[in-house]
Parts: sequence; structure tokens; C-alpha cells
Amino acid sequence: MNEHEQDRTTRPAVSPPRTAPEAPPATGLRRELPAEVPASTPAPAQENPQREPDRSGPTGRQRLLQGLWPPRLTRAQLIVALLLFGLGFGLAVQVASNSDSDSALRGARQEDLVRILDELDNRTERLEDEKQGLEKQRDELENSSDQAEEARRQTIEKERQLGVLAGTVAAQGPGITMTIEDTKGMVEADMLLDAVQELRAAGAEAIQVNGVRVVASTYLTDSGNGVAVDGNKITAPYRFKVIGKAQDLEPALNIPGGVVQTLEKEQATVTVERSTKIVVDALRAAERPDYARSSSR
Amino acid sequence: MIAVLGLVVGVVAGLLVRPEVPAVVEPYLPIAVVAALDAVFGGLRAMLDGIFDDKVFVVSFLSNVVVAALIVFLGDKLGVGAQLSTGVVVVLGIRIFSNAAAIRRHVFRA
Repeated sequence: MNEHEQDRTTRPAVSPPRTAPEAPPATGLRRELPAEVPASTPAPAQENPQREPDRSGPTGRQRLLQGLWPPRLTRAQLIVALLLFGLGFGLAVQVASNSDSDSALRGARQEDLVRILDELDNRTERLEDEKQGLEKQRDELENSSDQAEEARRQTIEKERQLGVLAGTVAAQGPGITMTIEDTKGMVEADMLLDAVQELRAAGAEAIQVNGVRVVASTYLTDSGNGVAVDGNKITAPYRFKVIGKAQDLEPALNIPGGVVQTLEKEQATVTVERSTKIVVDALRAAERPDYARSSSR
Repeated sequence: MIAVLGLVVGVVAGLLVRPEVPAVVEPYLPIAVVAALDAVFGGLRAMLDGIFDDKVFVVSFLSNVVVAALIVFLGDKLGVGAQLSTGVVVVLGIRIFSNAAAIRRHVFRA
């Protein structure tokens, strides 16, 4: 039966289509007519497509509809349903696993995976190198910033030290206090200058006399019955506050023929006291030199 | 009708369950699905032609799946897996298209 159906169904596709009888001219018809049926030729040719389904059963469309409705619980239907279930299941699973965004590598082949792995390795290596370079750079920057910080600290320290020498900052430390009582007005500027020189020679680091800081540019002049230090007039008693090593300063003043003896020869009384804390708080304004410039640069 | 229901139920079950595909089956599943699709289209065409036979359908379905998986397996072993599976997909695609054309002629008469 299947053979018969196949034969009939395939025939229209191969042989001239159903519309053919209308289109060709009369000659075509006449030529076919004698071959098949001599008597009533046009009728079967036109009826054939309509009668064919009746003879051979339903058309494809009708078969499809018949198959779909009503549902019949036959063995064939069940087996096909089972197979189609498998197909649908596999289809859905494959689509789902393929559309998972995180498993783009799931369907990849071994050689592709090896290639991807190689690329990742190379990339990792490159990034590692870059990371090392950046870390090195960071270390260098940290070091240099440490060095800058150290340099700044040293500069501040230096500034303080120089400030003590220049008299722009107050200073304190161990030292001596020397008081010169001059009731008769015999003490003169050069004697005080000698005392200052002696103190400097003994290592005095900061000196002030009667509230005037003594620095490198300090000058002493006689002024009436007193002395002018840097133009500031001071009178007896002259009180020196000196920061330095007391064990050096005191003997330096007291050596024979030294400052103390010279002053006492002039009827002045000199007292020297050691102290562990001398405060030299007289300040001088920092002056920018008009002419002298550093030649170190 | 029951067959169509089976397909629908299968798709729904696959989407709902979302099973992890075993690693062994993984490379064969896509090709097997395409081969099964080819068998289904062939079966549909045969049904429209009126020559549908369930035994033929079952055998062709299973053999299609098995042969497709076998080809992929062999291709992987030979080192031409990608090319061979592409070839299988192309051939099956052509068959599906020709079957679909026959079905179309039946259903739409065009």
C-alpha cells in the first residue's frame, strides 16, 4: 500500500502540473489525447488532481490534521512521542547550557582551550612583569619621598643650629653667667670685647650681654659712661649669659693675665657662676645681606 | 498529537530541570540534536506522503543520532573534529531543508 501511495504522490511532481491542461495550446492537448484515452480525453486530465486524493486517501494536509486531531493512543504515537521527548529535552538542555554566559568555554574544543590557556598564561606573565615594574617604581618613589622628608628634617635642624649662631632663635643649655660690677666706670668697650673674644675662644655658642645678643657682626663702642653693643647702650653691671661648656669657659676667664685679672686691675669686680641651664633669649632680626651672596652655587 | 505533546513536554522539562551535561556527552549533544531534527523532518515528510512507518522512524532516528555522534567521536580522534562536525551539520542541514521543502509543498501546495 505504501508503494502505491508513493507512486501516486510522486507522479504529479514529475509529470506536468495540474494547471498544465489550461495553459498549453491545442496542439499539446491533441498530441496527448490519442496516447492515453482516445474518447474523452479532457475530462480525466482535469479531474485527475481532484479525484486522485479520493482514490489514494487524504492529501498531505489532511493527513497532518488527522494525525493531530483527534489524539490517538497508538504504539507508534507513543514511540514517536518518546523520541521527540528526547529530542526536545536534548535541544533545551543544549540551548540552555550554550546560553549560559559563564560557560562560553564549555563547547570549546581541546585545542581551542589549550590556545586560550596559552594566551592567558602569556597575559598573566605580561601583567606580572608590569606589576613588578610598577612595584619597583613605587618603592623608588617611596624612597625618594623618604629622602626628601629626611632632607627637609635636616634642613630644619640646620636652620635651628644656624639660627642659634645668627641670634635669630632663643637658645638654652649649660653655661656660665659672668657679672662685671663697675662702680668706678673704668670698664671700656675693648675690655668687654676681650671678654667676648675669650669666651668665643673657649667655645661659647651663644652669648648675650644685658639683653643684647652677641653675634658675629656685633661691635662694641664706648658710649659715655657705658658701652654700646651694636648701638644699644648698656651700663654696668654687665651681665654676660654664655652657653657653652662651663668647665672650659670659667678657666678661660680666670687664667692668669686673663679677662678677670685685667678687669680686677681696673677696680671692677667680676663674678662667674656656673649653671646647668642658661637661657639666651635675646633675639636679633634676621637680616638679608645687601652685598654678600653665597658662592657655593 | 501525542508526539507533538512529547516534544513540548521534552522542551519544557529540559528548560525546567537544566541538568548538567556530562562531560563525556558534551561534544556529541549538539550534533546528535541536529541529527535527530533531521530524522524528525524526514518522519514528518513521510507522514505527509502517507508512507510513515513508526519502525522506520525509530530506526532512522536512533541511527542518525548514533552515526552523528560516531562521526564527531572519530573526528575528535583524528584531530579534525571541528571540520568534521561542521560537515555533518552542513549535510544534515541540506537534508532538513529538502525535507522542509517537501513538507511545504504538501502543506501549502506550493
